[in-house]
Amino acid sequence: MAQTIKNPNTISKRKPFLIGLLAFLFLLLIGFFMLWQRYQILEESRQSEMEGIIDVVEQNIDQSLKYSYSAALSLALQIDNDGKIDNFDEVAPQLVDNNPNIDAIEIVPDGIITKVYPYEENKAAINYNILQDSTRNEEAFKAIERRRMFFGGPFELKQGGVAIVGRLPVFIKNEFWGFVAVLIDFDNLIHQSGIRELSGERYKFQFSKVNPVTNKEEFFLKGVSGVDGSYSEHITLPDGDWKIYIIPLDPYQPLYAVVPVAFLILILSGAFGWIIYNAMKQPLILEARVKEQAGELAKSELRFRTIFNQAAIGMARVNSKTGMIQQTNKRFQELLGYSEEELKTMDYKDVSHPDDLVENTELMRKLRNNSIREYSLEKRLERKNGTNVWVRLNVSALWEEGQPATSHIALVEDISARVKAKQELIENEKRFRSLVENSNEVILIINKEGEAVYCSPSLKRITGYDELLCSGNDIFSLIHAEERNLLLEKLKCANANPGKAYAEIVMRVKTSNSHWIWVNATLTNLLNEKNVEGYVVNLRDVTAKKEAELNLVKSYELVMEQNKRLLNFAYIVSHNLRSHSSNLESILDLYDTEDSEEEKQNYMRLLKNVSENLNQSLHDLNEVVSINTNLDISLEPISVSDYVDKTIELLGLQIKSKEAKVCKKVPAEMVVSFNSAYMESVLLNFLTNALRYSHPERQPYIKIRGYKEGFNWILEVEDNGIGIDLEKHGDKVFGLYKTFSGRQDARGVGLFITKNQVNAMGGSVEVTSEPDVGTTFKVVFK
Amino acid sequence: MKKDICVIDDDEIYQKIIRKLITRAGVFEKAFFYMNAVDALEDLKNPETSLPSVILLDINMPAMDGWQFIELLQDSYPSLFSKCDIYIVTSSIAYSDKEKMEDLPGLAGFLSKPINVDKLVEIGEAVK
Repeated sequence: MAQTIKNPNTISKRKPFLIGLLAFLFLLLIGFFMLWQRYQILEESRQSEMEGIIDVVEQNIDQSLKYSYSAALSLALQIDNDGKIDNFDEVAPQLVDNNPNIDAIEIVPDGIITKVYPYEENKAAINYNILQDSTRNEEAFKAIERRRMFFGGPFELKQGGVAIVGRLPVFIKNEFWGFVAVLIDFDNLIHQSGIRELSGERYKFQFSKVNPVTNKEEFFLKGVSGVDGSYSEHITLPDGDWKIYIIPLDPYQPLYAVVPVAFLILILSGAFGWIIYNAMKQPLILEARVKEQAGELAKSELRFRTIFNQAAIGMARVNSKTGMIQQTNKRFQELLGYSEEELKTMDYKDVSHPDDLVENTELMRKLRNNSIREYSLEKRLERKNGTNVWVRLNVSALWEEGQPATSHIALVEDISARVKAKQELIENEKRFRSLVENSNEVILIINKEGEAVYCSPSLKRITGYDELLCSGNDIFSLIHAEERNLLLEKLKCANANPGKAYAEIVMRVKTSNSHWIWVNATLTNLLNEKNVEGYVVNLRDVTAKKEAELNLVKSYELVMEQNKRLLNFAYIVSHNLRSHSSNLESILDLYDTEDSEEEKQNYMRLLKNVSENLNQSLHDLNEVVSINTNLDISLEPISVSDYVDKTIELLGLQIKSKEAKVCKKVPAEMVVSFNSAYMESVLLNFLTNALRYSHPERQPYIKIRGYKEGFNWILEVEDNGIGIDLEKHGDKVFGLYKTFSGRQDARGVGLFITKNQVNAMGGSVEVTSEPDVGTTFKVVFK
Repeated sequence: MKKDICVIDDDEIYQKIIRKLITRAGVFEKAFFYMNAVDALEDLKNPETSLPSVILLDINMPAMDGWQFIELLQDSYPSLFSKCDIYIVTSSIAYSDKEKMEDLPGLAGFLSKPINVDKLVEIGEAVK
């Protein structure tokens, strides 16, 4: 087949080319022939123009010579029979001055110039014998021989200048007497001839004569070189044996005129040849194309038949008007279980599931009406054995658009497996969705930008955020600052290990009403997972658990603190008691070994002291222990202001003796839940301390202030006393038996008890102080 | 060589007792008594006062405790322990105090109250 396509192609290429070439050559030939004719005409017209010009020139020169002749004759007639001329001086000027052709006239008896007019310019020629000058006598003899006027020259004159000389031989009684000569200046002759005017710019002239001595042709006009006979035209003047040539300045001018036309002809012929070539080629190409397409058509028909029969999907051609099945392929038959013959007697409704017919019929109607050209549909077909099969149906009209309906092709693809899988998928999806949506665990999918792209409904239950609120939000902004780094760290791990779940990320999350809740999160990087493309985060609300845990830690810390305090207390007590007992032991020892009665008395006094100290210590300890053990001590609302007043009253004497100033600023509404006895003790302790450790150089000033800080009531007792160096003793201020003043009456018990009392009521005590400036105690009530 | 002793303790009664005991022991030619460490430090830091051979030091004292006293005295005498036997004297010792003692290996020892004459003699004889 390829052969049949190629051959006409080569022929179609060669033949048109030949015809085109011939047409080109033919046209070129005709064109050039016509051009040749035209050239000939141009040549001829130039030739005739030159002839015309030269004729005029000839006539002009002839005229000049004739004038000269008649002038010469007029003078000759003045010569009498004796050869005398009397009135030369009268006649000559008349002849010369009235005749512009003549420049001078001479009388030359026997060849010797005797008279000349004008005399001045030509006197040099007087007595010159022309017959004896071999270079010029030839023409003189020629004139004598011919017995008529003959012109010689042009030649250099004796008196200067170039001129021609016409010599008229004069015979008296048949005897040669001499000449009457006429001089015509050569330039004048040329001027008279009108050559220059006639020649214009297109031609040049040449004037020649055959040298009578050398027999060579001599040219007289300068600036005009060789005369090419092929283009020039000439005339011969017999009176002087002269030749006048006319020569075109540009001999090839007619050729130039036709050259562009020649090119035009060449281009036109070429173009015409090309057009013919192309025109000739077209039918051949079309022919080849038709053949090719016919082949293709046959091939594709075969191909489509094969496809139709062997296709893996069912195909049927159906009459669009009646719905009758006209043609089916093997697969279609297999799919339905009918034979080809059986199907040919059925219409499409016979094999369709009744539930799907309505839609299909409507689509068929549209197809028939040309409102659609094709449609596809998922429907069920009924097999011969009564079972159903899900198919995807693609229908395409087989008639030209806008034409009445004929038949259509129906492609039928078995999709039952897909439909089944899809249904299963939908059910699975539903199941998982309900699992996700009903679980208490929040599931989030967060994209790379940190935005939530999916939130399970439990998010709203737990955090109060709507789904909308969540998307477009930076998730990190909802995480407590203290846990952000933890999350970032886990995120880094998750990025390094896609698919691995990072569990137990416990962090605080801000709810929609700005509360913090504890969540336990699991993070899985599923960025690369199709359909997810994000981090999957599972969150569980563990606030209750976490708070319990935190409370436990707090309780533990409290217990540890109390333990430590108890241990410290036990140590202090033992230390205290031991120092007394060791003193007792030492004194008794000394007493036993002492001989002096006086000394013994001293020891007894010492013993008494020790006993008093011991008593005091036991009293203190009892007080301390009673605070620490009395857990169910009663609480009551206490007006701090009233108690402060009471305490000031109680210390009235001391305040007076110290001349102290007490300033009280406690609001009446300051009511705290406290034990009455403890409140008395606390206030008494602070005020006593303030008075006792007053600065010796200034009046004591005690400021008592009550105010609210947040939810808590605060009581401040400020003095301008000696102060405590907190840098040195900061950790011991409230310790048992810690004293700093160095005063003997400081026992190191008061502040210890105060602190314990306040702590037992759930409050706290802080101290700020500067040595030599004063001390401020601050009680924060629960 | 002359031996002298310095007692720093805020317990008034103990002070009276120790005076008697030092007198009875008779190994020390001179004895100095301080009721608090601040005064003792002030005296001992004075370049005109020479360090005593023995210091009996209480830990629990107001204003400045025994540990602070040692630390501050060391500022003046970097090689304090080689010049002077320092004994910590207390009726009982807390765990934290025990730790501090271990940090100061140069200490001559720890004495538990009550102290008797024999012990003072022993201390006196131990002075190099």
